[in-house]
Amino acid sequence: MNEQRLRELLGAVEVPDAAAAERRGRAVVEAAFAERLASGAPRRSGPARLPRLAVAVALATLVAALLLSPAGAAVRDWVGEVFDGGGETGLREIPGGGRLLVQSEGGPWVVGPDGSRRLLGGYEETTWSPHGLFLAVVSGRTLTAVEPNGTPRWSLSAPGRVFGPRWSPSGLEIAYRSGSSLRVTGADARGDHRIASRVAAVSPAWSPLSAPQLAYLGADGRLRIAASASGEVLAAAPALPALESIEWSASAAGYGLLLEVGAAALQVRQTVVGKLAGTTVLGPPRRLDLPGATELRDAALSPDGRTVAALVLVEGPRGARSVVRLIDSRDGSFRRLYSLAGDGLTELAWSPDGSRLLVADPRRDQWLFLRRGPYEGRSFDGIAAAFSPGRAPAGFPTVEGWCCRAPGG
Amino acid sequence: MRADSGELERAGGSEPPPAREERRLIREAQRGSAAALAALYSAHWRRAHRAAYLVLHDAAAAEDVAQDAFLAAVDALDRFDRRRPFGPWLHRIVVNRAIDWSRRESLRRRVVDEAGELEQRGGDGAPAGADLGTDLMAALAELPVEQRAIVVLRHLLEYTPGEIARMLEMPRGTVNSRLRRALDQLGSALEGER
Repeated sequence: MNEQRLRELLGAVEVPDAAAAERRGRAVVEAAFAERLASGAPRRSGPARLPRLAVAVALATLVAALLLSPAGAAVRDWVGEVFDGGGETGLREIPGGGRLLVQSEGGPWVVGPDGSRRLLGGYEETTWSPHGLFLAVVSGRTLTAVEPNGTPRWSLSAPGRVFGPRWSPSGLEIAYRSGSSLRVTGADARGDHRIASRVAAVSPAWSPLSAPQLAYLGADGRLRIAASASGEVLAAAPALPALESIEWSASAAGYGLLLEVGAAALQVRQTVVGKLAGTTVLGPPRRLDLPGATELRDAALSPDGRTVAALVLVEGPRGARSVVRLIDSRDGSFRRLYSLAGDGLTELAWSPDGSRLLVADPRRDQWLFLRRGPYEGRSFDGIAAAFSPGRAPAGFPTVEGWCCRAPGG
Repeated sequence: MRADSGELERAGGSEPPPAREERRLIREAQRGSAAALAALYSAHWRRAHRAAYLVLHDAAAAEDVAQDAFLAAVDALDRFDRRRPFGPWLHRIVVNRAIDWSRRESLRRRVVDEAGELEQRGGDGAPAGADLGTDLMAALAELPVEQRAIVVLRHLLEYTPGEIARMLEMPRGTVNSRLRRALDQLGSALEGER
């Protein structure tokens, strides 16, 4: 092979996703340039220094060029918030629909599709029922089922303080931790019973498959699948070290996918309901690489189990960047969905149909709603104040769930 | 972003603009022209991205590296000597970052492998997520990362061994010998191409 041929081959190699990468890079570089101008970074002057007006014109030209270009058309909303940090004022709607469950210092809130908000009361934790008809809320040792308008339906007193309630996909059961044990109650408050006596401080995950089973982390660091009725352990394996959360989604292929989110790593396993009724096979773990990441902030499994959204910090030439990556749960390949200078992004949540991601940006007091496919999104600011009416915000609220499009849906 | 004049449009695409035009774009960008920066981006992104990909064999990592190199360029724009060409400056950043990334990743994978926590993936030395879809990519993946970088700098970006030596801060003789070894190995791997 001569050198000319090598040159041709190198020039002909197809770079995967090249056009989209170029668009993404362009938006990031433009934003950095605009930030630099806006921050008053020194500019090398020509014959005469540019007046402030010229800077404003340059920014306006840049914005106009962006918005008018084909690529800009796709990213206009997204770039807008990157440029000046300003999003739409106030949460006026939930892009893509559905309802949010938001935990603030004052308690949990239900946010309607039109952005309307209702405080449920002074509860510490909360979770949706599968169709959004009810919520399970926690206060001390009490687990309560309430309607979305805050009306209580029932309460039960647990032996110890209640943590991490999770409503089963069938709607028939609620699992929760009480002290160091894992318990399950019927959704009508009957049949409350203990499943395991020594579990770690990680919320359990219900099987998305037809079997009434739970995945939980034992105090010994082992991941276990147990029948919710009897507590019988059906499968067990060493969990990802420093496990912080578990999610379990169904795939189109009929098996389940279990995501283990650690302090610095992600791992997935297939789960299959065995041919014998009541059994489940826990597949071997497969690590999802996070190349270049210095910190894993948050991760969430899409409703169809195909994609893991990961919020990571990446060290760049200008310091840390917060990067949202979409990782294919089947082969580990990933692409960058969103990137922002600094370490300000803190959490993410999938929309019920998996078409959008909500990303929290407390530093800018914003929620970003990013579309999964096209490179665009919207942002809303004033979030902290929206969930602290009548007083100074004590902190930025956290998103506990994004539920179905309509009650009963 | 599109360049906002016909003149800047000509500078777009994957080929660098003529030296004089590039100096003008850099001067304008230093004065705050977003259109000039857009033209520089258009002129240099694809080659920078391709170079990173050929060194790393990982599309996402290549995107990160190319993006970071451009961010570094934006950061250092004021200090840039506009009598010098932009491309070599950018490529130096791209290739050195790609080498650093590959070394870090290789070290990380070794540590994880030793802990017995990672399934074996990919070819020897190829970063995770590698796309070894072509014979050339497979053959490149067999080379140490520094050799891949030298091949890319010499035969994709067309720098002389002396320029490569300065970019990678190594003796010119080392560049020549590594280039020779890399070409021999590629030649053997792609025997049908001889």
